[in-house]
Amino acid sequence: MKKLSKQDLLHLYRSLIRTRKFDQLNIRLAAEGKLLTFYHSAHGHEAVGTGAAAVVRDDDYLFIHHRGHGLPYSIVRGIDPKSCVAEHMGKSTGWGGGITGFHAVDKEMGILSSAGTIGSGFVLSAGYGLAAKKNGRGQIAICFSGDGGVQRGQFHEAINLCAAWKLPVVFVVENNGMAWFTPNRDTTAVENVADLAKAYKVPAEIVDGMDILAVYRATEKAVELARNGGGPSLIECKTFRYRSHSEGRPDVSHFEPRSKEEIAAWMERDPIKLFEEKLVKDKVLTATLIETIAREADEEAVAAEKFSFDSPFPDPARLPHMVYAP
Amino acid sequence: MKELMYWNAISEAIAEEMARDDKVFVIGENVQESPFLATKGLVQKFGSDRVMDAPLSELAIAGATVGAAMAGYRPVCDLTFADFIYCAADEVLMKAAQQYFIHNGEVGVPCVFMGVAGGGFGNGPEHSRIPAAMVMHNPGLKLVLPSNPYDAKGLMKAAIRDNNPVCFFFHKKCMPMKQEIPDEEYIIPLGKAEIKRAGTDVTVVATSYMVNLALEAAKQLEGKVSSEIIDPRTLVPLDIDTIIESVKKTNRVVIIDEDTECCGVAAEIAQQIIERAFDYLDAPVSRLCAANSPIAGAAMEKYVIPQLPQVIKAIETAAGL
Repeated sequence: MKKLSKQDLLHLYRSLIRTRKFDQLNIRLAAEGKLLTFYHSAHGHEAVGTGAAAVVRDDDYLFIHHRGHGLPYSIVRGIDPKSCVAEHMGKSTGWGGGITGFHAVDKEMGILSSAGTIGSGFVLSAGYGLAAKKNGRGQIAICFSGDGGVQRGQFHEAINLCAAWKLPVVFVVENNGMAWFTPNRDTTAVENVADLAKAYKVPAEIVDGMDILAVYRATEKAVELARNGGGPSLIECKTFRYRSHSEGRPDVSHFEPRSKEEIAAWMERDPIKLFEEKLVKDKVLTATLIETIAREADEEAVAAEKFSFDSPFPDPARLPHMVYAP
Repeated sequence: MKELMYWNAISEAIAEEMARDDKVFVIGENVQESPFLATKGLVQKFGSDRVMDAPLSELAIAGATVGAAMAGYRPVCDLTFADFIYCAADEVLMKAAQQYFIHNGEVGVPCVFMGVAGGGFGNGPEHSRIPAAMVMHNPGLKLVLPSNPYDAKGLMKAAIRDNNPVCFFFHKKCMPMKQEIPDEEYIIPLGKAEIKRAGTDVTVVATSYMVNLALEAAKQLEGKVSSEIIDPRTLVPLDIDTIIESVKKTNRVVIIDEDTECCGVAAEIAQQIIERAFDYLDAPVSRLCAANSPIAGAAMEKYVIPQLPQVIKAIETAAGL
């Protein structure tokens, strides 16, 4: 278990704040019609991606969940989030060159692909794990998903393969209880995704997805197991989606508005609020530092918006050359 | 020179590529024993770490293939029956085909999806298809349909070395074919059609096993019709130039393909001919394909998939007889 220094803790905190600020930027730009695509906010989910992705090595593989379109996973890995904003504005400086709409990719940091078809990351991650096991460099893969995704066959077929072949894959499930507008309690009899893992003899743990350190520690354990040949694990992070499925959509459960009380209760356990309180109590954070970090993140977001706005669109003449590799 | 059967030519190609490049491995259901023989004997040479018997799960097999390819390997994924590609549509059509694009050209998916295709054994609607048009319709995939052992070997080697996902559908009816194969290495580049028989009266573009039926038909029509038989060998990329050149010479063309007719391979080739050689045509472009029907099984199969008499008739009609 790595001892987290003050610097480490501040990195996590700063990553959370930057993730939220960029999430808010994307939300505003979507409302203003400046994003040329859709956006699925990470609001409420920030601690899961940030906490888990903080554990990995630069040469590990991450298959990201769609909440925040890559922000929670990439910011903590040191990837500049302006490339996320630029991609959504369709600019050539985006992380996919402005041709993908939204897909988060960063070859150097092992962020290969992201799923448009929810749940398709499970089997691809098994492939990353297979490659990692074959090359013997001690790499691992983390596959992030939601609780809706695990209802697809890909989850079951991938976790079965990973368990049978002891592939170094960690499944991090961000369980917010909703798939689009449909609560999962009405679509599955299994309350805890962790129970599914047990059926495949895969160790599973349920953690508080609003507690970034709990996510970090659980991931650390699972990653170490995977790196040492122990095969896959699953971490189910109980979390909450503060906004609708995607921007501009009604925030409903089935066809009726979601319970305001339920949202308010989860807001009390906001992941940033919880971590901030802890760091203040532990004297890692001061009021001045909180303000500085917030201001810097705001300035960064303003600069990213301008950068993206000023960037050129890709040359459409490139498109026919992007279909096949030479 | 040595004589090799169709399946053995494929397994020899894979073996040569596995020996040449340790990033190449085989994954699929029963690839060690290999019910269609195309990966037979590989496990004895390369071990079970490189010839991997996977769970009965096309999603996991195809998905792991794509993931491993993106992470630096060159997997050969054996889907068993080509029909089973439908089970892994997300992995093959959405992921393998589009990842190069999604990664802005920075990450490729070099892999092969192989499967035994076509009719001839009466196996019915779920084991007798050649999903060629579907693959052709999805940009990002390449498509190889070898019609004999020599081509199968050279094309499989090219498919494994290609930096894109390549579907390699080999035909059940070609399995008993034997051919002289050179001892020295050879590769047949993807996108090069071959004129299997030169002729002057009519161009016959045939794919996969239909090439062999067309050759037999041409033989039977000798003295009556001089047929030029073209095997595109790969449909993506398609060597349309060779076809156009022939059509300009014969002024007549029929396309014979075993996939179902509607929105099919023949329709696409016909349209390209019309766009590029309309003024050279003395008759409408014609086609002979599987009927727009599920591939019937047992005794009824021959009423859905083109057989020799229909091929002969189609060539005669195209020749204006």
